[in-house]
Amino acid sequence: MTMLLFGPELYFFCLALVLFFFSLRRTPKVKTDHTVATVLAGVGFLVALACLFQKGDLFFQAYRVDLFSQIFKAALALGLFLVFMISRNLPAIEERLHAEFYLFLTTCTLGMMMLVSSVELLTIYVSLELSSYSLYILVPLRKGDDIDVEAGIKYLFIGAVSSGFMLFGLSYIFGATHSTYLADIIPRMPQLLASPIGLVGVLLALAGFFFKLSVFPFHFWAPDVYQGGANQVVTFIATASKAAAVALVLRLAALGASAGYDFAQALVILSIISMTLGNLVAIVQKDFKRMLAYSSIAHAGYVLMGVLAFTEVGYASAIYYALAYLIMNFTVFMVLNEVARDGRDLKIAELAGLYHRSPLLSMSLILGIFALAGVPPSIGFTGKLLLFTSAMNQGYFLLVLIGAVNGTISLYYYLKVVYAAYFVPGQGLPTIELSWPSRFLNYALCASIIGFGVFPNFIVELARSAVKAVL
Amino acid sequence: MTEHLANFPYLTCMLLSPVVGLTILLFLKEEWGLAIRMVSLVAAGISFALSIFTFVGYDKTLGGLQFVEKYEWVKAFGITYFVGVEGMNAPLLLLTGIVIFTGVLTMWELQERVKEYFIFQLALVTGVFGVFMSYDMFFFFLFYEIAVVPMYVLILIWGSTRKIYAAMKLTLYLMAGSGLIIPGILLLYSSSGLYTFDMVRLHAVQFSPWIQKLTFVLMYLGFGVLAGVWPFHTWSPVGHVAAPTAVSMLHAGVLMKLGSFAILRVAMYLCPQGFQYWAHLMALLAATGIVYGVFVGLAQTDLKYVIGYSSVSHMGIVGLGLATGTLDGLNGAVFQMFAHGVMTALFFSAVGFIYDRTHTRDIHELGGFSKIMPVASAFFITAALCGAGVPGMASFWAELLVLIAAVKVFPIRGLFAIASLVIGALFALRVVQNTFFNEPNPKFIHFEDVSPFLGLPRMILIGFLIFFGLFPQVMVGLIKTSIVPFIQGM
Repeated sequence: MTMLLFGPELYFFCLALVLFFFSLRRTPKVKTDHTVATVLAGVGFLVALACLFQKGDLFFQAYRVDLFSQIFKAALALGLFLVFMISRNLPAIEERLHAEFYLFLTTCTLGMMMLVSSVELLTIYVSLELSSYSLYILVPLRKGDDIDVEAGIKYLFIGAVSSGFMLFGLSYIFGATHSTYLADIIPRMPQLLASPIGLVGVLLALAGFFFKLSVFPFHFWAPDVYQGGANQVVTFIATASKAAAVALVLRLAALGASAGYDFAQALVILSIISMTLGNLVAIVQKDFKRMLAYSSIAHAGYVLMGVLAFTEVGYASAIYYALAYLIMNFTVFMVLNEVARDGRDLKIAELAGLYHRSPLLSMSLILGIFALAGVPPSIGFTGKLLLFTSAMNQGYFLLVLIGAVNGTISLYYYLKVVYAAYFVPGQGLPTIELSWPSRFLNYALCASIIGFGVFPNFIVELARSAVKAVL
Repeated sequence: MTEHLANFPYLTCMLLSPVVGLTILLFLKEEWGLAIRMVSLVAAGISFALSIFTFVGYDKTLGGLQFVEKYEWVKAFGITYFVGVEGMNAPLLLLTGIVIFTGVLTMWELQERVKEYFIFQLALVTGVFGVFMSYDMFFFFLFYEIAVVPMYVLILIWGSTRKIYAAMKLTLYLMAGSGLIIPGILLLYSSSGLYTFDMVRLHAVQFSPWIQKLTFVLMYLGFGVLAGVWPFHTWSPVGHVAAPTAVSMLHAGVLMKLGSFAILRVAMYLCPQGFQYWAHLMALLAATGIVYGVFVGLAQTDLKYVIGYSSVSHMGIVGLGLATGTLDGLNGAVFQMFAHGVMTALFFSAVGFIYDRTHTRDIHELGGFSKIMPVASAFFITAALCGAGVPGMASFWAELLVLIAAVKVFPIRGLFAIASLVIGALFALRVVQNTFFNEPNPKFIHFEDVSPFLGLPRMILIGFLIFFGLFPQVMVGLIKTSIVPFIQGM
C-alpha cells in the first residue's frame, strides 16, 4: 500500500531512469525517443489519476499524500504529457540533446510532485531545488545566439537569490518555533505572528514560490526567460511550473492565515502591483512570448486574490484558476509552437493570416486568448470571477475593482493577438498541416476550455474538498 | 415574486437553439453556402418561434415568473441556473427573436467568410437571449459578456468605415463598463450574507443605504455604457457605422437594450434606495442625451450616423422613463426598448440594402433615391416616420407614456426632451426629403428594386411596428403585469 501512496513519484522516477539511458546513446534516435517519452508520460498521467484518492503519510510525516497534493500531481503529469506532445520537432535544441530535454523535464516534474506533497520545511526546500536545477539546465539548452545564455544566467541568479530569501525566512520560522514540521508550526503561528519575526519569516519563505509564480518583486526573469528559452521549455515553465508554485503558495500562506490584517495586506499590495505592472507593460510588447510573460505576471496577481482570502472558497478558486491557467496558457503556447515550427521567437505580427493558414489553430488561439482575457464562456472567465468573488467575500472591494479594471486593460493586448490572427492577411504563407494527434489535442483543449468553464461544479467541489487538508 | 415552473424547458430550448446551430456550422464546409444559411435560419427561426410562444403564452392573470427553470449549478458559490419570463422581459425576448430572424435573412447575400459570420452572430444572440431570461447574476453577467465580445470580431472582419478603430473602441468601452459591473455584483453578493447570485432572493435583502448607493452607481455607469447613456455613448455611432448591416441591427436593436434592461432588472430592482438617490442624475443624463442626439444627428450627412445619433436620443427616452420610477415611465421605457429595437433594425436593414448596391450612404449623393428604388426607400421612410413618433406606430405610444411621466416628475427636463424631439422630427423629415425626393443621381439609375424575398425581413419588421402601434394594449397590458409588483417592491 505504501508503494501506491508514492505511486506517481515512483513512476516518474523510473521514467527519468529510462530517459537517462536514452541520453547515453552515441547516435540519437529522435523519433523513437519522442514517441516513447510521450506515451510513457501519458501513462504517467493515468497513474497520477489512478492515485488521485490516495491518503496517507510517508517518511516520518514529512511527506503527506492527500487530495490536495494528488490533484496537483495529476495536473503536473498532464502538463508534462502535453509538453511532450508538442515536442515532436525540437528545432531549437540540438539533436544529441533531445534525450536530455526529456530527462530534465521529467526530473523537474518529479521534483515538483514531491514539492506539492512536502509538509516539512527541509523537504520543501530539497524538492524545490530538484525542480529548479532541472530548469536551470533546460533554459540555456537552446542553440544559436547568446540570448539563451543571458536568459539562463538571469534565471539562475534570480532563482538563487529568491532561494536565499526563502532559506532566510525558513530559518526565522524554525528559530522561532523549533520545528520544521508544518503541522507543528501552524498551531504556534498565531502567537508568533504578533511579532515582526513571524510575519517577515512567512513572507520571505514565500519568496521562492513567488519567484516561480513570477509575482512582483521576483518577476524580473520572466520576460527574458520566456523569450530566450526554447519554446517547449517555456511552455513547461509557463504551465506546469506555475501550478506547482500555486500549490506551495497556498500551503505556506496558510501559515500566515491567522495573522489577519498585516499579512493579507502585504499580499494585497503584491497582488495589485503584479497585475497592474504585468498588464501595463504587456501592452507595448511586440514579441508574443514576452507579452505572455508579462501576462503571466498579471495572472500571478489574480491568483493571489484567492490566496489572500484565506477561506475555503478562496483556496478552492485559486486551485481552479491554477488548473484553468494550465489549460488555457498551454493552448496559446501550443499554437505558438505550431506556428513557429522552426523554433524561432514569434512576433505577434507574425501570426498574420493564421486564419487562412489553419482555421483550427486560429480557433484554438482565439479561445485560449479569450480565456486568458477572462471572456465567457471560458474556464478563464469562471476562474477569475470565482477569485474575485472570494476576495470580495472578505471585503476587499478596492482590490476587486482594481482587478476588474485590469481585466479591461489586458483585453487590449489580447485583442491585438486576435486582430493579427484573424484579420491581417498573411503574405502567401503556406498552410499549416496538423498531424492527427495535434488535431485531436486542439479539439480536446477547446472542449475543455469551454466545457469546464460552463460546468465548473465538478472541479470546484473537488478543489473544495482538497483544501480542507491545507487550511 | 411567484414562480411557476415550466412543464417543458422552452427557455432552455430558445437559448440552446443558436448554440446547436453554431455547433453544426462548425462542421460544415465554407463552400456549402446554402446549407450554412439554412442552418442559421432554422436555428434563429426556432428561437423566434419560441419567443413568440412565450410572449403569447404568458398568462397575464397569473402574473409572476413563468416558464421557470431552476437548477443548482455551483453549490460552493451559490450559483443557480435560473431562467424565467415575466411581463418586462417577454417583449425583449420577442424583440431578440424578431431581430435575429430578420437579421439572418438580411445577411442572406453575404459572400465573405459566411460560415464564421453566422457562427459569431449566433454566439452573440445566445448571449442576448441569456441576459433577458436569467435571474441569476452570475449567468446574467456571463451572457452579458458573451453578447458583447463577438462584436469585436464581427465589426473587424465584416465591417466598413474605420472599422479597426471602431471595433477596438467599442470593445474597450464596453469592457470598461464590465469592469465596474463586476465589483457591483460581487458587493451585493457578499454583503447580502446569503452568498447567492439568485436575484429574486437578493431582492428580499435590505442592503444598507451606502451599499445601495455605491452599487447602483457602479452598475448604472457600467450598464449605461452599453445603453448609450450620454456621455458614455461615443462608441455607439462609430460602432454602428462600422458594423455590417445585421450586426448594426442586432447591436442598436437589441444589444443597447441589454444595458437599459440591466439597469432596470439588476440595479433598480436590487438597490431601490440607490436608485432614489441617483434618479436625478439619471434623468439629467438621459435628457441631455435626448437633446444631444437630436442636434448632433442633424449635422450628419452619412445615413448611418444619422441613425446612430437618433439611437442615442431614443435610448435617452428609455433612460428618462427609467429615471421617473413611475408606472407610466417604466411601462413606456420597456415599450420603447421594444419599439426602438424593431425600428432601428428596420432603419439599418433598409440602409444596408441601399449601401450594398450603391456603396454610399451620403444623403446628398443619394438624392432622389425613391424614384430609383421606391420599395427600398419606403422601408427607410417608414422607419423614419416611426422614429419621428408618428401615431399608428409602436414608438408613438412608448414615447408618449415616457414623456407624460417625465413631465410629471421632472418638468423642465421633460419639456426640454419634448421640444428637442419635435425639432428632431421636423429635421428628420428634411433628411427624408433630401435623400429620397430630390433629383435622382444618374449613377444609380440602373439598380433594381428589392425582390420580394429580400424585402421579407423588412416587411416582418414593419408588420410588428404597425401591429403594436395599432394595438398597444397588447404590449402595455403585458408589461404592466410585472411593473406593478416591481414598483410595489421598491
